[in-house]
Formats: sequence, C-alpha cells, structure tokens
Amino acid sequence: MSYKERSDQDLVRLCLKSDERAARELVGRFERPVFSLVYRMVRDRELAEDLKQEVFVRTFNNLQRYDRSYKFSSWLFKIAYNLTVDHLRKKQVKTISMHGSPNAVTPERQEATSLSLESDEESPDAMVEARELAGYLEVAIGKLRPDYRTAILLRHVEGRPYEEISDIMGVPLGTVKTYIFRARRELRELLEDRWEGDDGT
Amino acid sequence: MNMRPRRPEKHLRPEELERLALPDGRKLPARSSAHAAECDRCRGAVAELQSLHAQLQTLTPLHPMIGFSDRVMRRVRLPVPWRVRVLQAVRKHQVGTAAAVAGAMATVGVGLMWIARYPELTPVTVAAFLVEKSSSLLWGGVMQVGRFVYGTGLVQAAQDIAGQLTPLTGFVAVATVLFVGLAALRIMVSLLNVTTVSPPATGR
Repeated sequence: MSYKERSDQDLVRLCLKSDERAARELVGRFERPVFSLVYRMVRDRELAEDLKQEVFVRTFNNLQRYDRSYKFSSWLFKIAYNLTVDHLRKKQVKTISMHGSPNAVTPERQEATSLSLESDEESPDAMVEARELAGYLEVAIGKLRPDYRTAILLRHVEGRPYEEISDIMGVPLGTVKTYIFRARRELRELLEDRWEGDDGT
Repeated sequence: MNMRPRRPEKHLRPEELERLALPDGRKLPARSSAHAAECDRCRGAVAELQSLHAQLQTLTPLHPMIGFSDRVMRRVRLPVPWRVRVLQAVRKHQVGTAAAVAGAMATVGVGLMWIARYPELTPVTVAAFLVEKSSSLLWGGVMQVGRFVYGTGLVQAAQDIAGQLTPLTGFVAVATVLFVGLAALRIMVSLLNVTTVSPPATGR
C-alpha cells in the first residue's frame, strides 16, 4: 500500500518507527489546512510560515505523547491553535489588515506579507467580483475575535465537526456552538455593512 | 366553545437550522422538517446560512511555500524504536561492541567452568555470599565515617544502643539525627552567608 493510501493513524504508527516518508506524507496532507488557519489568525505570511513550521516540528517531536484514540488532525490543529493563540496573546494582535502584516515597516515588506487573492474564474468581471468578495470576507473574518475566527474557519472552511472543534479549542461543545453562532451573526453584519457602504458610494 | 390561545410557534433551533442548511447525513425529526416547510422565518434562516457557507467556501485557498517538508524534517527527531537504536549503536561503536560481547562471553564461560568445578556453589549461595560481603563492607564504611565525624566513643555507644533498638525506635532515632543534622547544616550555611546564584536566563 502506498503512503498516499494510508490512513493518518497508519502514518503516525510508521512515524513512531522512525519512517521519514510517513512524516513527509502527513506534512503534505495537513500543510495547507494548518497554514490557512494560522495565516488567517496572524495575517502575516512569513510569520504564518514560521508558526506552521513550529507546529509540525512540535507535533513530530512529541509524537510519543499523542493519544491514538483521538484523531491526528484534532491533535495537530490543537497544537496549531494553541501556538497561534499564544503568539497573538504575546503580541496583542487582535485585528488584521488585508494589506500586509501589521508589523511591516516598509511598503516592500507590507507587499511581501500581504495576502494575494487568486481566482480560477475565467471572466475578468467575475474574477474581480470574486476577488472583491474574498477580500471583504477576509477583512470581516479578521475583525472577529480570535476564538470566533478559529471556530468559524474550522467549521465552514475546514469542515470540522463541532466535537472536533471543541477538542481543538479545549472548550465545551456548547461554547463552540455559541462561538460559531455569534461569529456567523457578526460576519453577516460586517458583510452587510460593507455592501451597503459600497452602494452608498 | 373553548377558545384556547394558540401556542407561540416553536422555531427551529440553531443546530436544526444547520442540519437543514448543510446536510451531514443525519436525519432531521419529521416535526422539524414539516415546520421548516411552512415557516418563512426558518426557511429564511436556512437560506442565509447556506449563503454564508457558500461565501466562506469561496475563500481563496492559500498555497504554502515550496520545500516546506524538507525544512520541517531538518528540525524533527522522529522517535526511534529501541531495536533500531541498539543496531545504530552497534554500527557506530563496532570495536566497543565486539569487546563487550567478548567480555560477556568470557565471563559466562568462566562462570560455567567454575560451576562445573565447584558444583556446591550454586547461584543462590554465590548471591548470598556477595550480599553478606557487600553489606558488611557497607556497614564497616559507615562506622568508619561515624568514628571520623563523632569520635570512637560515641559510635561505640551508638552500636551498643543499636543492638537493643526496635525498628520503630530505630526509625525515630535516624529521623531525629537527620533532622538535627540538616538544621545544623542550614544554620552553618546562613552563618557563612552562602548565596545561591541562578544561571542567567537564556534567550530563544
């Protein structure tokens, strides 16, 4: 059986036997979702790359402590969440900018750390519209509290079930439901304000 | 005619709305489905949730940097099973391993020859002999230290008392001696004004 066909748990078992290819497969499998979550939390590409690297290094270096009765993805996201929240607490970063890192000191640095929006749409109008919507959404998500942001991203973007989000964030199921409910309401309000603002101009 | 006031309409709970908006394979109670078909407010909430979900799905996928796994693997130490660790150690220290194996084989060989020559020396008798010898050596060492620290007379007296001690009184005596010793040490340290200096904190 090739590594791609193996389950996460199988790959973890191989990692515990020092199989580097299994570790690389796990990195490939979870690199993008972990990066998406961390990036949307810190809004700085370089910093998100560093944090993501730290997440995987910590995960593999502590693999012997992993309880295999839990999903590997939950454990990995939990490490990512804790590390990112710790970073946000230290830096006191609460809101974000679509236009680059809040820590950027020069325009070049701001450009380098900004989010580039890509779209597969063919029509230029549709592309512009999609980019606009994605841009509004990114800004609106960035305005949410970090807890709400994580919960709604894990639910709607990564498609994680409520129970898993509760494990990842280390809060009761009811709290996760509240976070997601409030995040949705705030997002809707933020997006409505944005569209209304555009109509007005 | 009994005209009872109509009960207020019970709208769907958030989790029911979500199960309607984003089906996950779990069935919704018939009552809830029937309510959703009739209630404009709940239908609106479902549509709103579907729209928000669809919008969130349009978020641009983020593409991480190339060569990431190499960078991670350079900093990762995967757990190594003990068998592999032993093999690695053997490969790394071939001469030492050969010497250790030869030494072990020689010891076993000599032991077997000895047992063959002196059949009365079973492992149990040899072990008993070793325990007796080592305990007498240990006790002798302790006595020597005691004579050096407290003087011969006091140790002699302690030995005489020790012969008459029960386990409980022995324990109390040892504990008292330890307590008094530690307290004396602490007083000495404070008198000499010895301070402990912590190493400077290292940055990351």
